[in-house]
Amino acid sequence: MPESAARNQHGNAPDIAFGAFLIILATVALWETRALAIGTAADMGPGYVPRALAWILMGFGLAFAASGFRATHRPLPGFDLRSFVMVLLSLAVFALLLPKGGLALATFATMACSTFAVSDFRWRESFVFAVILTAFTVLLFVNGLGLPLAVWPRW
Amino acid sequence: MNLVDNLALGFSTALSLQNLLFCFLGVIIGTLVGVLPGISPLNTTAMLLPFTFGLPPASAMIMLAGIFYGAQYGGSTTAILVNVPGETSAVVTCLDGYQMARQGRAGPALAIAAVGSFFAGTVATLVIAVLSAPLATLAMKFTAPEYFSLLVMGLIAAVVLAHGSPFKAIAMVLMGVLVGLVGIDVNSGKPRLTFGIPDIADGMDFVPVVVGLFGIGEVIANLGSAQDRSILAGKIRNLMPTWPDLKASFPAILRGTCVGTILGILPGGGAALPPFAAYALEKKVSRHPERFGTGVIEGVASPESANNAGAQTSFIPLLTMGIPTNPLMALMIGALMIQGIQPGPSVIREQPALYWGVVASMWIGNLMLVIINLPLVGIWVALLRVPYRLLFPAIILFCCIGAYASGNSVFSVWLMLGWGALGYFFNKIGVQPAPMVLGFVLGPLLEENFRRAMLLSGGDPAVFVQRPISAALLAVAAILLVVLVFPVIRKKREEALPE
Repeated sequence: MPESAARNQHGNAPDIAFGAFLIILATVALWETRALAIGTAADMGPGYVPRALAWILMGFGLAFAASGFRATHRPLPGFDLRSFVMVLLSLAVFALLLPKGGLALATFATMACSTFAVSDFRWRESFVFAVILTAFTVLLFVNGLGLPLAVWPRW
Repeated sequence: MNLVDNLALGFSTALSLQNLLFCFLGVIIGTLVGVLPGISPLNTTAMLLPFTFGLPPASAMIMLAGIFYGAQYGGSTTAILVNVPGETSAVVTCLDGYQMARQGRAGPALAIAAVGSFFAGTVATLVIAVLSAPLATLAMKFTAPEYFSLLVMGLIAAVVLAHGSPFKAIAMVLMGVLVGLVGIDVNSGKPRLTFGIPDIADGMDFVPVVVGLFGIGEVIANLGSAQDRSILAGKIRNLMPTWPDLKASFPAILRGTCVGTILGILPGGGAALPPFAAYALEKKVSRHPERFGTGVIEGVASPESANNAGAQTSFIPLLTMGIPTNPLMALMIGALMIQGIQPGPSVIREQPALYWGVVASMWIGNLMLVIINLPLVGIWVALLRVPYRLLFPAIILFCCIGAYASGNSVFSVWLMLGWGALGYFFNKIGVQPAPMVLGFVLGPLLEENFRRAMLLSGGDPAVFVQRPISAALLAVAAILLVVLVFPVIRKKREEALPE
């Protein structure tokens, strides 16, 4: 994980994290394309360009990491865990609820969930806003734009 | 067909009731997102992209283009009135515009910004009309090696002119190309980098990637940083600029328009770079450079004209060659491809109504912006009072619906979730995701032309320098790379570009 590089107290942590990310990405790409034919320069196989790119990215990653280690110390900026988790959770809620629960329920749950991403929310204000937006969403996207979506739960 | 016929065709398309409506809708949405910090035209366009599927191509493009240049107007309104640049392109306008507002001259500042933008928009529309046909004719002669070199040149120029570390930007472009290759290889029919997931066998869907990176990533980052929205603006008393204001502004508007028009055409230009260059130029030619920053009207007129001119001429490479110069143009390519139109030099010949309609609509849209914006300034400022804690759940929701609608499956929502997490990671470590989007969109084209060129030349890479146009394009790319590495010029670039 790129985050593990952050605990290192020397070097430029954001650069090391980016380098680590590229190395991981390149490794995954090289592993995933291992079975593809490379071919020759005149007649390239499906693996030629992706593998070449992966190796170049690997080089970039190593270079960023190496120069990052030698650079003056710069810590990784604080990750806002609460916002991060709640925002992603509200997306997951939408994806999980939409197929069976319908648009109205998914919308309301997503709004409710994302509200908790900040600490200064107000119960009543958020509730009223979520209800209004749910109604607006259903009217706009299903009735107005005609998206093929079920509005209500189908259990 | 000559220019007049072309423009007549364009206006007859753009003036149809439906297209006028979508143009109006586009500029209104654009102004809205321009006013609201934390929502960029990029993520708005990405969110709205899936809903343009059902529209005719011309209406879709007219609306999306309207969002882009409308946002430039909205961004400057809040820059002048509340010192909040709604968009990066309006950062410079804060310097003198806000000072003017504090001296009670918000009205003239807004009026000059609008007039300058309209003038610049008119000139830029004409430039597009004049330049596009010859450029498209030239591009028609391109074969695989030329296309590959053109793409390389465009990507490198975008990296050089973008802000942030150029080396990281190059790495991001390459990463984008790699992600762009996900899916079934057209030549061999073999799935590549799909991890056996059938949903990405046709390639990674464009909308979830972009909405995740920009929409979701930005929301999380914005939540982490404090929001400062104190509204200082008093009443706007008088919109009319004085005679000395006009006299000082007119040459500034001309200069700004020129700078913006030229920089907009360059890859990587778009709307963000021109205002900085225009402001710097204005300071240089002024007899009182020390007064800049205290509320001089040239400091508003020139960058405002430049950003609008740049926003519009950045459509030229897209419309004539199918090359996006910035991520927003990449989204436009996405919109065209969704409509079943392959962007490139043939669009102008095969779809003249679409092409000239979009060009003409830009002028109409600019006119609408002047008319609707000046009287409605109060409404836009009132909108700034909507707190972010109410705004962001709505953004998240529209991202979800947009992602779902793009592929009609919840898989897109999951994909967006992943890219959102990645977008937040990039934001935290200070890496710009924009170059990745360019690489992502151009990746398949880049690979295809590279493979075809190498196949034709029998594996000899010299083909790229033996053909004159290709060699010239690569030479430009090489010069740009030298500029990038050369320390003195690099320092200048860092001074001119804000973080």
